[in-house]
Amino acid sequence: MAMSNSPAAATRPARWGGFTSRKLAPYLFLAPFVLLFIAFIVAPLVYAFYMSLYRDTLVGGRHFAGAASYIKVAGDAKFWGGVWNLVLFGIVQVPIMLGLALLFAIVLDRGQVYAKGVFRLGFFLPYAVPSVISTIIWGYLYGPNFGPFTQIAKAFNLPPPDFLSPGAMIFSLANIVTWEYVGYNMVIYYAALMAIPSDLAEAARMDGASPWQFARLIQLPLLWPAILLTIIFSINGTLQLFNEPYLMRALAGNTINSSYTPNLYAYSLATQNQQYGYAAAVSFVLGIVIAGASYIFTLITNRRRPEQ
Amino acid sequence: MTATTDIPTFEAARRRPGERRRSRIILTLLLSLFLVYSFVPLVYLVLSATKTNGDLFTTFGFGFGTNFNLWQNLSDLLARDNGIFMRWMFNSVLYSTAAGLGAAIFATAAGYAFAKFKFVGRKLLFALVLGAVMIPQTALVVPIFLLLALSGLSDNPLGVILPSMISPIGVYLMRVYIDQGVDDELLDAARLDGAGEFVIFRAIVLRLVAPGMVTVALLSFVGTWNNYFLPLIVLRSQAYQPITVGLATWYQLAQQGGGGGQVLFSIIITGALVSIIPVIVVFLLLQRFWQGGLTAGAIK
Amino acid sequence: MTKIFNPLGRMMQRRDFLKVAGASVAVAALPATVRGAEPVKVVLWSWVPDLQLQVDMFNAAHPGIRVELVNAGQGKPEYQAVRAGLQAGSGLPDVVQIEYQLLETFRQVDAFADIGPYANAHKGEFPEGLWTQVAKSDVVNGMPQDYGPMAMLYHKDIFDKHGITPPITWAEFADAGKKIHAADPNVFITDAPFGANADWVLGLLWPMGWKPVSRDGDKLAININDKIAKDFAAYWQDLITAGIVETKPGFNNEWYTGLDSGRYATWLAAGWGPLFLTSVAKTSVGKWRAADLPQWDASKFATGAWGGSALAVMKTTQHLPEAAEVAIWLNTNPEATKLYTTKQNFFPCTNALLSSPQWAGDKPDFFGGQEVNKVFAKSASAVAPFEWSPFQDFLYQSMSDEFGASLGGKGTLSDAFDRIQDAVVAYAKEQGFTVV
Repeated sequence: MAMSNSPAAATRPARWGGFTSRKLAPYLFLAPFVLLFIAFIVAPLVYAFYMSLYRDTLVGGRHFAGAASYIKVAGDAKFWGGVWNLVLFGIVQVPIMLGLALLFAIVLDRGQVYAKGVFRLGFFLPYAVPSVISTIIWGYLYGPNFGPFTQIAKAFNLPPPDFLSPGAMIFSLANIVTWEYVGYNMVIYYAALMAIPSDLAEAARMDGASPWQFARLIQLPLLWPAILLTIIFSINGTLQLFNEPYLMRALAGNTINSSYTPNLYAYSLATQNQQYGYAAAVSFVLGIVIAGASYIFTLITNRRRPEQ
Repeated sequence: MTATTDIPTFEAARRRPGERRRSRIILTLLLSLFLVYSFVPLVYLVLSATKTNGDLFTTFGFGFGTNFNLWQNLSDLLARDNGIFMRWMFNSVLYSTAAGLGAAIFATAAGYAFAKFKFVGRKLLFALVLGAVMIPQTALVVPIFLLLALSGLSDNPLGVILPSMISPIGVYLMRVYIDQGVDDELLDAARLDGAGEFVIFRAIVLRLVAPGMVTVALLSFVGTWNNYFLPLIVLRSQAYQPITVGLATWYQLAQQGGGGGQVLFSIIITGALVSIIPVIVVFLLLQRFWQGGLTAGAIK
Repeated sequence: MTKIFNPLGRMMQRRDFLKVAGASVAVAALPATVRGAEPVKVVLWSWVPDLQLQVDMFNAAHPGIRVELVNAGQGKPEYQAVRAGLQAGSGLPDVVQIEYQLLETFRQVDAFADIGPYANAHKGEFPEGLWTQVAKSDVVNGMPQDYGPMAMLYHKDIFDKHGITPPITWAEFADAGKKIHAADPNVFITDAPFGANADWVLGLLWPMGWKPVSRDGDKLAININDKIAKDFAAYWQDLITAGIVETKPGFNNEWYTGLDSGRYATWLAAGWGPLFLTSVAKTSVGKWRAADLPQWDASKFATGAWGGSALAVMKTTQHLPEAAEVAIWLNTNPEATKLYTTKQNFFPCTNALLSSPQWAGDKPDFFGGQEVNKVFAKSASAVAPFEWSPFQDFLYQSMSDEFGASLGGKGTLSDAFDRIQDAVVAYAKEQGFTVV
């Protein structure tokens, strides 16, 4: 990733200041974050991994199972079916969501529109709506019998769209997620755009670059690390999809089952099947899938990333 | 020199005014389309908040009900369960503010360390921070609960606040931000003047990266405001719960008929609407930090 | 406030409130010395709305005990917390609300104390079928709090329009459905939420004598796809294939509107249904009536139950006598239990209330002045015992998944029962049971 560190700064001898030495400083700056990170992410992860090596049974209790759960996940059709659902989901949803977010961020950053404050707030607002509520709202809008789209279709004597059918469900969920997160990603790009030094714009103007050329040749390469990050986070978020299908289940029980997404599956395993160890193993394998997908993606894109 | 990215000027220099206006109008229209899409569900939310329970199910979603019931819904909302709604609002504000501030400061400090210092394990640690996000939260549900129980933090608001202060994306953003926005020469100059590392961080870095910090704070604030899973696991007492868990409790009363099923949709919808207001206020307050924009040029 | 949340507000007896309030004030006014030493604290987890009223009554009547009420979430979230607490060995309440259907599941992990020595004296105060839900011979694991015997609620206007009388048998129910749907393709005899509400499906299989899982120690007999299930599946599959019922999930906007607007002519409901329906169906006031659940064999009246929960005492409690007293008193005290029917809109559990003129004789306008409670009270007396599985939530999940898959095009309901059988057998073996 495009992050440089000044060699000059690194070779300078350590100095004692009012606070502490140059050598110790980074550790102290990292300490609060890392301590929390260890306490609330690393420790539970280690514990979850430990649990994944055990098997809980209703008769006989807990016993050591070694890698048995992992071997089982490898051949678990329910797990991989869920992963496949989400791969389809992600291929459609992630490019649309991030493309829109990027476009909006660039346009709003340049101030090429009227009332840009309204747009900025308006695009961000959906992210402020808790997913519990957004899913209730979209669920109503999707209603196959009495939803507004159905009512409109009926008014024009058209066949009402069935957003909750098995074939359409993945797109209906993709729509909710897009609605929720375009603003979120836009804000990340927006923040990254603001870190681009203004003298670059100045220089580009002097060189007679068009705004389009400026965006393509200057902004995009500088934004690239942020774009890559949002893609990886979106791959991650997609494969971990939970809230929306979990809540949509109340409206489309015939379409969304307990293993519709891997996370939903892990949740059912832990909370209903009382298979805590297996649930943990499923989560770790999912983590590996996500890491693998992100890594492959990074490899591919690094080879053909825009020039700096 | 004043610090502005000032791309409008850039545009202005290149194009004739008429052309500029036309492209402005086209872009504005284009974005308006998406704005309508963003607002459609919100309009439904607002209209629904003005309806009675009965009207919610019987009248058209994008019209008013037979009665304008907003004030009644609001007073019902505030009276329900001895006014616990305001308590939930207070909890959400407290947790989200603490998480937003904490995340911004810790992420900035960590991002600064990653951007401007060389130390053993830097690459590995950074990869770990981003990689850990890839392990699904559901894997952590039971372990987090068990560990919190061991440390005496179950049913304690700190069990929600402290984890919410961890923002890997914040660390990443701040690293990029400081990398691009804070000049090494400036830091070195300060060191030559005898400033301690902490003083440099506070007096120089924090000031330069305010827009980035605001972004991290905003994202963490809203993320915590919307968080449902973690408080659900950690908190038992209704008096500690944030707004999401509280509203979901009411919603579930309608989901399961048995056990005194009640449909409280009009209150839940009204509550949802009210619960967005603080987020809007925070957004409006914080976005002024973006107005000036930040540039490396500012330091030169 | 009551007029919004308690649709039958007029049922609310103002003096109940005053009595409760008065009693609380009276006790609170006593000096601490009179109330004795430090009271024992009993933590109660329940999602019952406004249960604090009854808890205040309890605390007023028991100076030595102080109940602390916590709402740890309704159903699943609470069970999740209980399970996490069982794992951690801490953070558990003394008394906990559990649905009847999950009592056996929690018994399996040894969650409950036996309150038989305290509770058995009250056995006669509850309908027999109900008591078997909470007790196994003399071992009692919970006190019944509310109940859901099933009956049929129907749109009288729709039935009248098509010249139909309430069906006595399922065959008549199907005929009525065909007739109505043929006349008006936008009307369905009912909504059958197979893919979403497994407990509803089970409530309908119950009166047929379905015994999905019977246990003897660690040995389980699993007969999910037996003749009973196949008959049941064939019947409903016919209705679904013929398009005279819908299979949309219940308890959401679409479904409420469907009931209210008359898209669904009936709702196969439980005891808590009439008041629940009243709160969602605002335009069909007066058009609804209640009738018995249709029967397979009209000569042998049998019904099932859907929903309802008990207060159980956790094994980990340090105050068993006090905790048992909480569970028992809150569900047997005449004033407290009566308040459930007026304030919380519960279906009553005690014989005294089921036969009380005030409750049974109520004639709500919503049901055109019909004494609907009597219909459900009759059902309550005809609910047979039922054996819950030791992993009921897994069974429900398999049912929802497989019924849903069938409705989504993967075979018939009958195939779904076969798949559920396979899934449950595999799960039971994996969990260490011997499947016989």
